[in-house]
This record gives sequence, C-alpha cells and structure tokens, in this order.
Amino acid sequence: MNKELEHNFVELLEKHQNIVHKVCRLYTNNYDAHNDLFQEITIQLWRAYPKFRGDAKFSTWMYRVGLNTAITLYRKSKRTINTQDFEGVAFKMKAEEYDDTQEQQLKVLYQAVHQLNDIEKALVFLYLEDKDYREISETLGISEVNARVKMNRIKTKLKTILNP
Amino acid sequence: MDELDLLKKDWNQSSNSHKVSARSIYAMLHKKSSSIVKTLFYISIAELVFWILINVLPTFFSKSYNEQLDLVFTNKTVLTLINVFTYAIILLFIYLLFKAHKAISVTDNAKKLMQSILKTRKIIKYYVLYNLIVLFISVIIGLYFGIEHSPEVSDKLTNASSSEILVFYGICVIMVVFFTLCFWLFYKLLYGLLLKRLNQNYRELKKLEV
Repeated sequence: MNKELEHNFVELLEKHQNIVHKVCRLYTNNYDAHNDLFQEITIQLWRAYPKFRGDAKFSTWMYRVGLNTAITLYRKSKRTINTQDFEGVAFKMKAEEYDDTQEQQLKVLYQAVHQLNDIEKALVFLYLEDKDYREISETLGISEVNARVKMNRIKTKLKTILNP
Repeated sequence: MDELDLLKKDWNQSSNSHKVSARSIYAMLHKKSSSIVKTLFYISIAELVFWILINVLPTFFSKSYNEQLDLVFTNKTVLTLINVFTYAIILLFIYLLFKAHKAISVTDNAKKLMQSILKTRKIIKYYVLYNLIVLFISVIIGLYFGIEHSPEVSDKLTNASSSEILVFYGICVIMVVFFTLCFWLFYKLLYGLLLKRLNQNYRELKKLEV
C-alpha cells in the first residue's frame, strides 16, 4: 500500500473516529475490550479502504464496516478481561443539561441497551445516529418493513425495562 | 418523550472520552487482525493440508501400503483413475475455498457477510465429509481384502465360532462409531466455538424475516 493512501486513510479515520468509538461503546463493556474492538475495526477499515469509492460518504461506509466487524468478524481477544466497568468509558452529558432523575434514567437506559442482543444494538445504533429505515435495512440486509417492526419492538422492550 | 429520543439527545451531545491519535492509528494498521474470517482461512488451509497428507503420505513412505494397493488394484488403470479423481477433487475444493474466501467482503450488508462466511464453512464441511466417506470406504475395502487375502486372518475366521465372529464385527463397529464420534465432537467444538456468535446473530436476522 502506498504512503499517500495510508496518509489519507489515517487522516479520514482520525476525523471520523467518533463513529468507531460509538460502535465500540455499544458492543463492549470495558476499556480494554473497547480498544481491542477499535483496533479490529481500524484494521478491517484499512483493508477495505483500497476498494472504497469516493461516491459513498466515508462515514456511511464506516458504519457498515464498523457494525459488520462488531457483529460478525470480531472475536473477543483473550486479553480482554472484565475489570473495568463500562461507566469508565461512558460519555456524559454536561451537568447543567440534566436533572437527577434524567441522569438516573439515562444510566438505566444505557444499561438496558447493553442488555439487547447484537442485532438489536445495531438497530439502536443506527437509529441513534439518525439513519433512516432505508439505510438501516440496507446495512443489515433486512427489509425496511422488518427494520421498522423490530425497532418498535425494541422501543417497547426498553420501555418495559425502564418501567417494570 | 420517547426513551430512545432521550438517549439520542445524550448520544449526539456526547463527546469522546478517549481520542486516538493519528500516530496510534498508523500503528494499528500494521497490527494483526483477529477476525473469525482469518481464523477460518487458517483452518481451511490446515484441513486441506491435513487431508492431502493423509491421502498422499502413505503412498510415498509406506512400502507395505503400496504392496497392499497392488494387491487390491491388480488393474493399474483403475488405480491411476482413482488417483486422478482424488487430485481433481482436491483441486476443486482448493478452487471453491479460494472463491468463497474471496467473496467474503466486510462492505457487504450484515446478512450477506454472514452468509458468505457460512458458505465458506459449508465448503470445508463438505470437504471433510468427502474425506471421511473416502476413509470409511477405504477401511471397509482394506478390511475386506485383509480378511480375504491374509491366510492368518482367514484361517482364524474360518475356525472361529459364530459368537467370536460376532465379537470381531462388534469391535469393528464400535471402533468406527468411536472414531466418527471423535471427529464429530472435534469439528463441533472447533466450528461451534468459532462461529457461535455469528450463528446466533444470523438466526436473529433470519427471525426478522419470518
């Protein structure tokens, strides 16, 4: 691979790395695992990069490779041990923007999302990223109707977890 | 407000707690992948090599094996045909595996990616199954000719009582069942562990289509 390609890739990934972090945040629950998955996604992105066509948005392309790696390709590394709680890498809202009940509710919500299975997490992730059902269905390989139905079921599931 | 909308608000406002530097990204590019596709690739190679060795080694190194072969196949053309067929099958599987591995693309949609991986695994499965069947047939033929052409064995069998013959065949069956079980368990463990998550997720995706 030539240096220029490598340079362009690193520049793009550095700029858009938040997408990868968000995937890692959903699919892992400690710092080591987060870094491990981040590395694997980076490797997969880099391998696929020579075939990346400029006509698709780099970020859109990243969603697909990132999710595919998390759901399908990633094999948990042996060095990943659950030592640190997920909260350690959690993203926090600014203090003035939430009250105690909302903070508590968010915490429970994040925990609830973590209890979902891999496919449900992928749907939630794309939903949180403001993707429409067409893109969700194209990324996962299911029909738009099914994506919508599943998303509604997930919402109900989360509601039940939050208000038992 | 919808629960997920509340989450969305927080999600989009969140800032990243650990930013990875360009330097670290450069370093990651040269690290080795630990993806299941890579492991599956190595397993395919190992399967190919293992069964090729099982097929080929005895003919190269065992004199008695070759003598046995001569005994069974008095007609050289049949032996040559079998050899050509064996190598053709191996080449066919190498081609199919190569094609299947090339078809695995991380930029496909999730379902298609899973299907490509499962297809590759299926080709390996058929390859192993083919070899096990060939091995099974060879053992049967070997046993048959061993019994027929070895004066020692056939003498013993002629003099043996029916219960002794029953025990002999019983032991043969138990051995075959035992080795088949061992193989089955080995492959179940190997692929079961490797593809457990993929199978779960694939089932989940399929369930959505029902």
